[in-house]
Amino acid sequence: MTLRDVFTELSAKILCGSDEQLDAEVATAAAGDLMSDILARLGSPDVLLTGLTNTQAVRTSSVSGIKSILVVRGKPVNDSMIELAREEDITLAVTELSMFTVSGRLYAMGLRSGMDSD
Amino acid sequence: MDAKQARIQELLYELKVTDVMRAGAITTRPDQTMTEFRRIMRKHRISGTPVVENDLVVGMITIADLIEFLAAGEADCQIRFKMTPNPECLCSDQFMVHAIRQFDASGYGRYPVVDRQSRKLVGILTKGIIIEGMLSKMAHALKEEEIRQYRASHIFEDINAEYKELYLTYEVVGKDFDRAGQASTSMKRNLKRLGIQPDIIHRLAIASYEAEMNTVLYSDGGVMEFRIAPEEISLRIRDHGPGIEDIEKAMQPGWSAAADWVRELGFGAGMGIPNIKKCADKMDLQSIPGVGTTLNIRIFTGNSDQTKSVQERNTQDSRAK
Ligand SMILES: Nc1ncnc2c1ncn2[C@@H]1O[C@H](COP(=O)(O)OP(=O)(O)OP(=O)(O)O)[C@@H](O)[C@H]1O
Ligand SMILES: [Mg+2]
Repeated sequence: MTLRDVFTELSAKILCGSDEQLDAEVATAAAGDLMSDILARLGSPDVLLTGLTNTQAVRTSSVSGIKSILVVRGKPVNDSMIELAREEDITLAVTELSMFTVSGRLYAMGLRSGMDSD
Repeated sequence: MDAKQARIQELLYELKVTDVMRAGAITTRPDQTMTEFRRIMRKHRISGTPVVENDLVVGMITIADLIEFLAAGEADCQIRFKMTPNPECLCSDQFMVHAIRQFDASGYGRYPVVDRQSRKLVGILTKGIIIEGMLSKMAHALKEEEIRQYRASHIFEDINAEYKELYLTYEVVGKDFDRAGQASTSMKRNLKRLGIQPDIIHRLAIASYEAEMNTVLYSDGGVMEFRIAPEEISLRIRDHGPGIEDIEKAMQPGWSAAADWVRELGFGAGMGIPNIKKCADKMDLQSIPGVGTTLNIRIFTGNSDQTKSVQERNTQDSRAK
């Protein structure tokens, strides 16, 4: 399953991202709204689910080696977040679905935790 | 490979039409005849030209127009009667990504390129020129990045001295949330270029970012000093206050004095300092209330016996939970 398949399945809107990343296979994900919690788990999941929409969500991903972010609950994403994601070569998409629903669907699709501590 | 992909991506957003187009395009005038046009095409082996009058593009004439003209068996006439008048043009300062989209949307094979202000013809862009131009720019840019990486990763081998150290310093501005983390992400890139092992880069980037965020969120700003030596990388981050009242508490997992605005931004779990400790081989935090805080982090890059084992890191992690 590619990142694009995942986004299609969740009716997510892609805000930025290269074809190369969108066509890459994904196997792992993680979810969180607390940046330190994501950082502390020392993982690099293929997708990060978050309700946090600011530049630090992008920097946290960049520092953690996470290549794509899916914003849940349809939170509005401002231009500075998209711009930084582009700069940091991180794919960014947004879905109307809740964190709970997205996590459940991804698990059912075969994705597993991308965190070392789980 | 990662760096290459990043570079190609960057390039697509950096390149403008003027960087890729062929300058000094072969042109025709509206008062030249179709016979002359045919001769020009043959001579230069091209399949069309912009039609220009007083430096301004008044039309496009292509091989398709010539074929139609010949098939009709008409008497020779001026180009102005057979050309497509007032064609769509590209501006030289447009980004290539946009130009490529325009090619896609219109299906045209060529565009005259004009200056945005004067509207004068400055060059031409065809699909062939795009492919050629992009490939050569990419080859060039990639070589540059590779050379940079090569150069940087050999710095310690190529330079001869008894002690070899590299110091990199960054200013951290207090309360500037949007720029927070810039020092740590550029440091991550630098370490990649220096050829440092990925797991060490990962740990250093996380520790550095947590420390940088604390400095931005809780202090009036400070300075980050990275020291890269053959055996270890260290970071000293000093701020101008207000300092931490109870260091013991601040180091406890889960303890946080973050204000609501900090929590709303996704910080304030009280995990930062424990996380720094986990990523570092050695950590030292000192603070004088009213003066400032200094954090020292060391990560050993060689096979030093001071490097924490994975088990040590994990036991610390379970204690942190
Ligand atoms: N440079 C500093 N100056 C003043 N206070 C600081 C500084 N660094 C940390 N602190 C204090 O120590 C507390 C604990 O820091 P720590 O990084 O562990 O957690 P946090 O920043 O509150 O939450 P998190 O890092 O999980 O987002 C902070 O809430 C803050 O009050
Ligand atoms: Mg913190």
